[in-house]
Amino acid sequence: MSHTDRDRDLDRAVAQAMARLPRSRRPLSRRDFLRFAGAGAGAAFLAACGVRGTSPPATTGPGTATGTGTATAQPTATLPPKAGALDMANWIAYIDKDHGKSTTLIEFREEHDIDMSYSEVINDNEEFFGQIREPLAQGQSTGWDIIVMTDWMIAKLIRLGYLQTLHHDALPNFEANAADKFRDPVFDPGNAHSVAWAAGITGIGYDRSLTGRELTSVEDLFDPAFAGHVGMFTEMRDTFGLVMLSQGVDPLQATVDDARNAQAKLIEQRDAGIVRSYYGNEYLDQLATGNLWATMAWSGDVFALRVDNPNLEFVIPEEGAMRWSDNMAIPVGAEHPTDAHLFMDYVYRPDVATRITEWVWYESPVRQVPEMIAADAAESGDDILESLAASDTVFPSAEVAASTHPYKVLDEAEEQEWKDLFQQVVQGG
Amino acid sequence: MSAGRRRALAAYGLLVPGALYLALFYAWPTVQMFAISLQEGSLERGYALTWHWATYGQVLTKFDTQLLRSVTYGLIVTLVTLAVGYPLAYAIAFRGGRWKNALLFMVILPFFVSFLIRTLSWKFILADEGFLLGTMKSFGLLSEQFRLLATPVAVVSGMIYNFLPFMALPLYVALEKIDRSLIEAAEDLYANRALAFWKVTLPLSLPGVFAGSLLTFIPSVGDFINASLLGSVNTTMIGNVIQTEMLTNNDYPEGAALSFILMAAILVGVAVYAKVLGTEELTG
Repeated sequence: MSHTDRDRDLDRAVAQAMARLPRSRRPLSRRDFLRFAGAGAGAAFLAACGVRGTSPPATTGPGTATGTGTATAQPTATLPPKAGALDMANWIAYIDKDHGKSTTLIEFREEHDIDMSYSEVINDNEEFFGQIREPLAQGQSTGWDIIVMTDWMIAKLIRLGYLQTLHHDALPNFEANAADKFRDPVFDPGNAHSVAWAAGITGIGYDRSLTGRELTSVEDLFDPAFAGHVGMFTEMRDTFGLVMLSQGVDPLQATVDDARNAQAKLIEQRDAGIVRSYYGNEYLDQLATGNLWATMAWSGDVFALRVDNPNLEFVIPEEGAMRWSDNMAIPVGAEHPTDAHLFMDYVYRPDVATRITEWVWYESPVRQVPEMIAADAAESGDDILESLAASDTVFPSAEVAASTHPYKVLDEAEEQEWKDLFQQVVQGG
Repeated sequence: MSAGRRRALAAYGLLVPGALYLALFYAWPTVQMFAISLQEGSLERGYALTWHWATYGQVLTKFDTQLLRSVTYGLIVTLVTLAVGYPLAYAIAFRGGRWKNALLFMVILPFFVSFLIRTLSWKFILADEGFLLGTMKSFGLLSEQFRLLATPVAVVSGMIYNFLPFMALPLYVALEKIDRSLIEAAEDLYANRALAFWKVTLPLSLPGVFAGSLLTFIPSVGDFINASLLGSVNTTMIGNVIQTEMLTNNDYPEGAALSFILMAAILVGVAVYAKVLGTEELTG
């Protein structure tokens, strides 16, 4: 057996073992642990940071809501010399990890001689924002050089002037390899402050053996036959987005009135006892155990669970679905911006991006990755890699791309109104 | 300085460490939280103290259902744990014999496992298609639609399970220290056992009932773990609302105002309860 064959066998065994683990961007145990710690931690946190004004006055005007937000992000005119240190915060299970070691990280540390720490501390956009907003508001270091946030939160951070402007001349791999759709996104024109880490779709996941039929529409989540076994998300943008689509509204153009209509539909669904509950990450566990028959779902999660339970399906409803991306950004006050650029660029190397994608099962922003995974799959004959390579939700086809919609970038007032409406739904009646 | 005066000063001196501790870790955060509840603004614009009392009214009307639900659940939990805990504590205190310590140990045994893990385990046990319900359903004992999880029954049962020791232990302490000769005296005076219990044991155990009720009622009204793990959107309690306001919505004034409303409601409830039971008896 040649060296590479053995490696491939090992990879395969690990991939299969991985596939048996419920995979998720935000695993249950950690999230729930944080909930548990929440009451005490929240009080301590408040006491520690007080409640001072957090945003610079320049960003409060309505005109800054467009997402260009250059007001206070003071970019360094040129990057300082490499510091040899880097601290990155990311979501859990979002990078390759073999027996607790990430080849990507190990190779990066060696190649660039940077003492990089990588922490899986992000569980929720709002929650993480709450943790770092005080130093951000004062322009101090948050302790992180790279943070990974969902597109809408990136927009909010830009609006507040909390992100550094990126130096694109230090990102040659991004310039060369980023797929077109990850360039110049609506939430960050010109990638001035962020580059994508991975992307996914919010659609419907269901267990065919429990629903007894194929699901094709958002309306299926409102079917009284599934009463008590339907899951919806606590992520406002996902839930409002899907419901708006079912009402024929493009989420990107949605007004507060559209949000109000979506709210009415959700309240009706809730009061009819159709919704079991509103979930964050824990929906996956509920779907796997059969408590949920049909639920809103994130693409990569269900795809991973299917290896174990072929009855599970992920569909993009005929009305459309939401798509999102998680993006790397450098907060103001970060101490090692040069090293951060090096890492951001490193993960845009096709071989690195391919390795990460084969582990996390979300769409990579690097254009060569689909081909490279297909090549790996053909070469190894591995079923799992083959199904990954063939998945049109992990690598959205033109058709899928056309039926998925990005989140609207909300300004502060709008966001508050949407939030109030949404809270009336998820807090129960 | 006279000896008496010095002794009085020494007594105050002994209070200093405790008083400082309370001032630092209780009074200060409470005052700060109260100030937060009167602020107005948003995370982005910042919060400013505007003495905005209206927040209290707003959250009361916005979350009246959840407040009422929390108090109701808390009362049910207190009554059921009392009904279950009293016979348990009585049996251990009066009939435990040499097994007393072992039995007490078993009451607190669940505490050796994290509160969170225990509650999570119930989630698995009670799953719709889990071992318990799944088996019963496959034998046709339950309808396919039947479920316990995500219902008020699951939430209240979870709290009863989790808070039972808080009721049983103070009851045990109160029952244990009752002088048995008093009960014998009652029987010597021709009281039957029921009457002796009613006239002697029960009144003497009231401090335990009071302490146990407080230790059960207060945390269960504010609990959010059971509702979030075992419940659904229709069992949201005030603790869940406060948690969401504080940690997800970052709406600190609303969260703080709700906390103070909860605190006030509990204080009033406890004061009424103490009045009804009679304060002298409660101090033992």
